[in-house]
Amino acid sequence: MSDAVTRPLRPARNWALIIGAVTAVTLMTWWSGRGIRFSLTELACNLPGGRRLLVESWPPEFSFFPRLLAPLLETLQIAVVGTVIGGILAVPVAVLAARNLTPGFLVWFVDRNFMNILRTLPDLFWAMLFAAAVGFGPIAGALALTVFTVAVISKLWSESLEAIDMGVPEAVRASGGSWLQMLQFGAIPQALPHYVSYALYAFELNVRASMILGLVGAGGIGMVLETQRSTFEYPRVTLIVLSVLVIVLIIEQVSESIRRRLI
Amino acid sequence: MIREAAIRFEGARVVYPNGAVGLASVDLSIAPGEFVVVVGSSGAGKSTLLRAVNGLTPLSAGSVAVQGQPVPRSEGRALRRLRAQVGMIFQDFRITRRLTVMTNVLVGRVAHVPAWRAMLNLWPAADREIAFRALERVGITDKAWVRAGDLSGGQQQRVGIARALAQEPAIILADEPVASLDPVTTHQIMRDLVRINQELGITTVVNLHFLDLARRYGQRIVGLRNGEVVYDGRAESVTQEDFRHIYGRDPDAGDVLDGQAAR
Ligand SMILES: Nc1ncnc2c1ncn2[C@@H]1O[C@H](COP(=O)(O)OP(=O)(O)OP(=O)(O)O)[C@@H](O)[C@H]1O
Ligand SMILES: [Mg+2]
Repeated sequence: MSDAVTRPLRPARNWALIIGAVTAVTLMTWWSGRGIRFSLTELACNLPGGRRLLVESWPPEFSFFPRLLAPLLETLQIAVVGTVIGGILAVPVAVLAARNLTPGFLVWFVDRNFMNILRTLPDLFWAMLFAAAVGFGPIAGALALTVFTVAVISKLWSESLEAIDMGVPEAVRASGGSWLQMLQFGAIPQALPHYVSYALYAFELNVRASMILGLVGAGGIGMVLETQRSTFEYPRVTLIVLSVLVIVLIIEQVSESIRRRLI
Repeated sequence: MIREAAIRFEGARVVYPNGAVGLASVDLSIAPGEFVVVVGSSGAGKSTLLRAVNGLTPLSAGSVAVQGQPVPRSEGRALRRLRAQVGMIFQDFRITRRLTVMTNVLVGRVAHVPAWRAMLNLWPAADREIAFRALERVGITDKAWVRAGDLSGGQQQRVGIARALAQEPAIILADEPVASLDPVTTHQIMRDLVRINQELGITTVVNLHFLDLARRYGQRIVGLRNGEVVYDGRAESVTQEDFRHIYGRDPDAGDVLDGQAAR
């Protein structure tokens, strides 16, 4: 009996690969640092400049706050619209990109690439595109965030969908269910908590992003930030940054507690 | 008189894409209202046989017909219509744990109601009534609005049975329905299946692992070995010698449920 069961040898470690990878990362970092002329000494010399900016920005100009309310609200509205519309559009995009659910290779291939293109192009690009198309303002911002949301949710969620147990979907088919019914009753309920979680995450990202989007004229608090910064009103800039920080923290807390309840 | 067989295999052969032979060549005819138990060692082709009946696994050659209708080889309306008449019960229950018992049972009605109604969860009263009656038949009516995942294993399998019953099927296929249950629950579920077969006259084919269960609950036993029918006879006349032939070895304590319970 003893010769029947020989224990397999532990495979040797691939040292060449490990050393190669470490060397490659080191070389790449060094080369990149040189490329952008990154230097610690220079950084140290410039620190006083940074400190001057900080000193000038403090304390925040709280009296400016009332004038922030409307733009802050607009920012939230842009984020809500972008998240909801994008969240809905992300559902088919994610489903068709999930290998186990997609109805065919061609659909999967086209959708996957579509998803990758959405994700590769930055939100600023979309904001400028839509600003050119529908004019500067919150609509352009909401459209840009819609695309951004589709990109974020579809990528993450299609991976969750690929990880579901295909047993129930098969049982739905065995009962005579169509592809859509298989999705509705078999596949999607399993991945629903993930969907909600990713949608909340997208909303957080969108509130943050709508600050940046304002810089290119896509509405919201970012536009106020840009005007104040260009006129060197640093205490006001501080107030804006702080208020966005507080809002993002609140949203994060709320969505975290929702998420915990889901799991 | 030639009575239409409920299920008829003729030269049925299944070869999986990886070259594994699921069914070698099966000729088998099951009459309406019969209670057939299929036995055979692991890999004998029991699951393949059942899954060929509702087209979850298409045949590579030969034919299988349900109530005289050949089972289509590709997905589509015709196959869905056929599946609507064939309920299936699985070893791992395959119900959606997050949804209520009622919703899981209503999945058995997907092929019988207009697609938009199922989509919007607007099930006709008649179909809700059918679902309730199915729950009554397996004795878990009180659990109708409970989350399916909160039930015990035996209760979850009863949800699986109720879903199959809700289809008002002509045939029920059960693939090792008791393999993940304890001995007491096992006997309850087997008795449920026998009772449903007798009261409603639904043709029932059950794959079983345990010989004593096969002998006790089956009317007719079909033995599979390497994808071929090597035994076909009445349950009361099956002998130890027949089991040896089916399994290709002496049955031991692991092949009977009582042997498991005694350990
Ligand atoms: N999806 C699949 N792909 C490839 N080969 C498969 C597949 N399903 C089953 N087989 C092979 O087909 C043969 C019959 O398998 P089947 O699942 O029908 O056996 P079984 O009698 O149900 O076994 P068990 O008691 O283990 O469930 C086996 O050799 C198995 O390896
Ligand atoms: Mg099996």
